[in-house]
Amino acid sequence: MTTLIYPLVARFPKPDFTSGYQYPEIIHGMPWEQFWSWLDLAILLGMMCLVAWAVHRRPSRRIIFTVSIVSVLYFGFFRTGCVCSIGSIQNVVLALADSSYRLPLVVLLLFLVPLVFALFFGRVFCAGVCPMGALQELVNVRNFRISRSVASALGFSPWIYLGFAILYAATRSQFIICRFDPFIGIFRLSGDVGMIVFGISLLVLSVFVGRPFCRFLCPYGALLGVVSSVAIRRVEVTKKPCINCTLCHNSCPVDAIREPYANKGGESRLVGVRRIILYVVMLPLLTLGGGWLLSSQSDTLSIAHRDVYLYTLLQSDLDAEEMPVEVEAFHEMGRKMEDLEASVADVRQAYHAWAWAAGALIGFVLGWKLIRLSVKRTRKTYEIEPSSCVACGKCFDYCPQNIGVKK
Amino acid sequence: MEEKDNKLNSPMARRDFLRKCGALLAGGALAAVGGVLGTKVSAREGEMMWQIDPEKCLQCGRCETECVLPVSAVKCFHANQVCGYCDLCGGYYRANVKELNTAAENMMCPTGAITRLFVEEPYFEYTIDEKLCNGCGKCVKGCSSFGNGSLFLQIQQELCLNCNECKISKVCVSGAIQRVPVSQGYKLKDHA
Repeated sequence: MTTLIYPLVARFPKPDFTSGYQYPEIIHGMPWEQFWSWLDLAILLGMMCLVAWAVHRRPSRRIIFTVSIVSVLYFGFFRTGCVCSIGSIQNVVLALADSSYRLPLVVLLLFLVPLVFALFFGRVFCAGVCPMGALQELVNVRNFRISRSVASALGFSPWIYLGFAILYAATRSQFIICRFDPFIGIFRLSGDVGMIVFGISLLVLSVFVGRPFCRFLCPYGALLGVVSSVAIRRVEVTKKPCINCTLCHNSCPVDAIREPYANKGGESRLVGVRRIILYVVMLPLLTLGGGWLLSSQSDTLSIAHRDVYLYTLLQSDLDAEEMPVEVEAFHEMGRKMEDLEASVADVRQAYHAWAWAAGALIGFVLGWKLIRLSVKRTRKTYEIEPSSCVACGKCFDYCPQNIGVKK
Repeated sequence: MEEKDNKLNSPMARRDFLRKCGALLAGGALAAVGGVLGTKVSAREGEMMWQIDPEKCLQCGRCETECVLPVSAVKCFHANQVCGYCDLCGGYYRANVKELNTAAENMMCPTGAITRLFVEEPYFEYTIDEKLCNGCGKCVKGCSSFGNGSLFLQIQQELCLNCNECKISKVCVSGAIQRVPVSQGYKLKDHA
């Protein structure tokens, strides 16, 4: 139960009332947190089943659209976002890194359920269950296509984001995914200026470009993309044969539909094979290089940790007048310098190890992407690339082969 | 579509095989993460909530400004059991006031959230109006400097959005904001 906390000095004795005064009973309200988080999970699960059904059994954009609206209203504006699957990456990493951190079961499930669904049905979470994806989808009016090379380059940034999120979460420094969440300010209708400006500019951008956050920033989307690239049931534009009409290709907001490709001409097969062999050799080098590069900067990065920050403040020359509150608090609490130094050494060590891991991840993904980019495949029809496809279902209504299938 | 009819060692069969291997790998990885963390999760503890440890809090004033809400979810709580019911209250009046009256310049609270009620000579009962309180902690500082320390800052759970990472906790100078199991209840000062 609650620990007993008394002031160090009770300067004034307890008054002895003679008028029969009774202490007021103050009850501080508690939320139904348990209830809400399980309800959220149940609704998430229900919506995902519905979307999976709408995508695979009954190709229907309308159901997914309805789910998007419900998600934006419920998960977004009503529940105001926290805790979400995207942010849960950090909780999971922290739980793996630090055994003293207690991971709530709901958060673990929020992390796993969309990934498991992605393994079976593709990115149905992104389709309309995630309020951030749904919000961008709902405002997307005009879809200007970004050139493929730019899109692939930008598509690498979620992995950098993920690497840093892992580094900062594992070292208990900061949850950067939550800190720089662009849409939470919009859902809460409050937040600091930077957050709101970032959110609104991303939202304006998503009017013209499909889902910029999902494609070029979301670290959870990157994970879902990996899992859904090996999905057991892939999202298909139509169950009937493709007639190469290009309509689905034009409708796709995330440019996940690849046009037919002959894979002839250009370079000789030998050149291509040599390039792939080169990249395969480079893969471990890039992995090690990434780890080395980031870990060499780990001391600089570690300033994000509260103790290291305080330590650097204490080391620097300070005006007595402009003493930062942190330094004042350090002295006021009577913390010992040796303890702080020991803590800083521990933190820097952890940073070094985790920077290796994060850098290696980033390097590995870079190498892997290079290999993937140089594998060229012949496509006779339009095909959905499963790792980019967010299962939004916009192509279903565009495909002439689907006419008459639904009703 | 025709590729499926090709012989087994065709690219399609190979891709299918690779994909199945990948699915197995991904499934295995997910099961491993679930398994490792499943043993660690705190199902018994249930949900967590953010709480200020009143013993550690130094009233630096950041609770007022750093909360993601327009008006902070941190409020001043009052432990009547600890309170001295003084007339000259360090949380109610500013230091060195000339006259003990309720003129605004004499009041510690910038929003007028503290009201007091005469109980009997010489005692006054102090009450916090949470609707007005902005969590600046000025009264808390006054009370802990000159009084019994019955006023303290705490995160009002009906207002708290329970962010995955409390923004105030990251800038709290004393590291007083921690996640505690909901079942433990508020960290209060007034348990006799």
